[in-house]
Amino acid sequence: ALCSRLSSMRAASSCTNGQTGCHFLSLANLFDRVIQHSARMHGISNDLHSEFELYFLPSKNQIGRVSRNCHTSTILTPNGKENAQRIAREELTEVILKLLVAWREPLWHFHQNMAQHREFNNFSSNKSLEMSEMVHELRRGVQKVVEKMQMLGVINSSLGNLGSPEALLASDRAEWRLMNDYDLLYCFRRDSNKIQNYLKILKCRIIPEHGC
Amino acid sequence: MYNARMRTHLGLVILCVLSAARVCSSTSAPESPRKFDCRSREKETFSCWWEPGSDGGLPTEYRLFYTQERLREVRECPDYVSAGANSCFFDKKHTSIWAEYTMTVVATNALGNASEEFRITDVMEYVKPDPPVNVTVVVNSSAPSPFLEIRWKSPPDVDVRTGWVTLKYELRVKQNDSKEWKTVDIGSETFFNFYNVYPGLLYMAQVRCKLDHGKWSEWSNTIFAEIPKNHQVEKYFWIFVFVFSLIPLLMGIYILLLKRNVVKQCLLPPVPGPKIKGLNAHLLKSGRSEDVVNALMGNQNFPPVAAWTEQVEDFLLVSDSDEWLLTDSFASEKKKDIFIIPAGLHLGLEIQCRDLSVDLNTWEKTDDSKEEAKSNFLNTEPINLPVEKHEFLNGEEMSIQPLANTSYVDIQQHPTLTDYSRVKEVNDNTILILNEEEIPHGLDAEEVKSEVSVPDDYSRVKEVNSDVVFLEKGDSTDGCCKKKEDHYTDWTNQKPIMPLESELSKGFCLKMIASGYVDSGPAFSVK
Repeated sequence: ALCSRLSSMRAASSCTNGQTGCHFLSLANLFDRVIQHSARMHGISNDLHSEFELYFLPSKNQIGRVSRNCHTSTILTPNGKENAQRIAREELTEVILKLLVAWREPLWHFHQNMAQHREFNNFSSNKSLEMSEMVHELRRGVQKVVEKMQMLGVINSSLGNLGSPEALLASDRAEWRLMNDYDLLYCFRRDSNKIQNYLKILKCRIIPEHGC
Repeated sequence: MYNARMRTHLGLVILCVLSAARVCSSTSAPESPRKFDCRSREKETFSCWWEPGSDGGLPTEYRLFYTQERLREVRECPDYVSAGANSCFFDKKHTSIWAEYTMTVVATNALGNASEEFRITDVMEYVKPDPPVNVTVVVNSSAPSPFLEIRWKSPPDVDVRTGWVTLKYELRVKQNDSKEWKTVDIGSETFFNFYNVYPGLLYMAQVRCKLDHGKWSEWSNTIFAEIPKNHQVEKYFWIFVFVFSLIPLLMGIYILLLKRNVVKQCLLPPVPGPKIKGLNAHLLKSGRSEDVVNALMGNQNFPPVAAWTEQVEDFLLVSDSDEWLLTDSFASEKKKDIFIIPAGLHLGLEIQCRDLSVDLNTWEKTDDSKEEAKSNFLNTEPINLPVEKHEFLNGEEMSIQPLANTSYVDIQQHPTLTDYSRVKEVNDNTILILNEEEIPHGLDAEEVKSEVSVPDDYSRVKEVNSDVVFLEKGDSTDGCCKKKEDHYTDWTNQKPIMPLESELSKGFCLKMIASGYVDSGPAFSVK
């Protein structure tokens, strides 16, 4: 389902004869696919987090948890609807991409750890693998959307560094190793929710007429 | 006495003081608040409540201070009122969805204070919307079965338009007297058609919703709907229709029974006997040949019938072999086909070749003559002719005079069928008649009143043998001809070819049916 969704995403980006309506429709389709993808990714992260809570959290004190420091805390993200609608489209897109890039390696290592732990069943192990692959595919999908938007002139091409977003987070590479698995899952659940929301807001700002 | 009174007063005073002192010693500093909970209805604002501890007997004030993740400053609750007592309401300006809050509630009274810290890691965890509103149920009674159309609206204040929030719904329906709910995941639509309903039952429905991955809302108000029992009316209707349609059916059967004979005549009409124009079956029965003849042909001057009959009796055997002519057993044993030489064949008659034009009238006459001949034949005993095959005598020529319009007339005058040598072959019920080369031209078979005419395509020619052409209808490999009827149908529409040169000649085989028809009017065509 992943591959077919993404390949169809790529196929949808070709539009014949430059009708603007058609282009915007294909951009809307691209957005929809990416949003669906991010929703699924967030769902998996939520499931995994709940499973972890069952296994590892001894005292479920809803309020009195220890504070966590997610390694993506350094990325400035809009924390409300108004903020998300106020910042520039390019900035919002950049935030999305930064988040996606930041989680590529940590999730991969998380999956490796999961595969080694015997106490997890295969279901959880498959989910962690799917999650780590999804964040990579989603990043490529969002890059396609950005290219399309730049082609249509929706956003200007100031995001020149999209080709190598890893450069943005070169300094943050080591921070995630300090997190334990449970914190990692918690942080990723939050960040995947952010990504999903930002994508939806971005779509409804750019193409409001297509199902917002 | 004085001392006792003083002692009781003292006791009372001490009692009073002691009691006063007890009251004063119960006040204390407040206890810290307990149980902290928050809720966000639409992911844009949220409220938090706490449960106060003991207040120590003194009026206690509660204050909430919070810090946000990454914000160093400590802020106080912006709104203590909107969410009720012991609460704090954070409006949009003060709400950060994915941020971490650290709340500190402080209880203060005259004797001291107490505080407790609570941490909210993510407001998203406390998102719980209001239930959906305007839930309506309509019973749709259209075919094939009724169903419930359930509609609702998203709760107020939830902003779906900007994409900030994705709502998912869940519906549950059950019968009024049942315990089991049937639950349906809806997705993001605000309507649903519920088909699993039965007529005559009362149903109740509820809807709830969820924001992103937050908590489910409470169930909405229950909506009731009853499915009407209209199917029974339909059943009665069909029974009614059925009964009413039976009545004419029964009447029809009754009428048919009454008029069986008429129906029988209508459906199975008797096969009519053959009709000859002017010929009445009764005439035949009466046996008077004069009547028949007169009916057929009017009053014409024909030679006496007797002459014909003699000839018929004499000349019905056709053969070209001597044996044939010598044998005498022509008495009929049973009725068989009678061989007739086509009238067109010149049986020993001297027929002059006339011109090509064909006179219709003449043909008519010839038709009549034929018919007379037929009638004569009918009157006579059918003669049973032995069937023998004779070989063809190839190369034998026959001097058949061309058949012309005059042939019939001539036949009348010379009604002697003397020359059976023309016949080449007798085969079962058919006679193969040999043609001459000298065949009359211009014989227009079309104008022959009889149905025999010359086909113009020789595709049906089965075999050509010297002077004889075998015509066939179909693929029969038997004798040369099929039944006469076949010829009739086959050749009716054909135009004869009238070429003048003669290479082949055709012969027609004719068959006389037991009914007495004489097939007449063979047409010879010469190619």
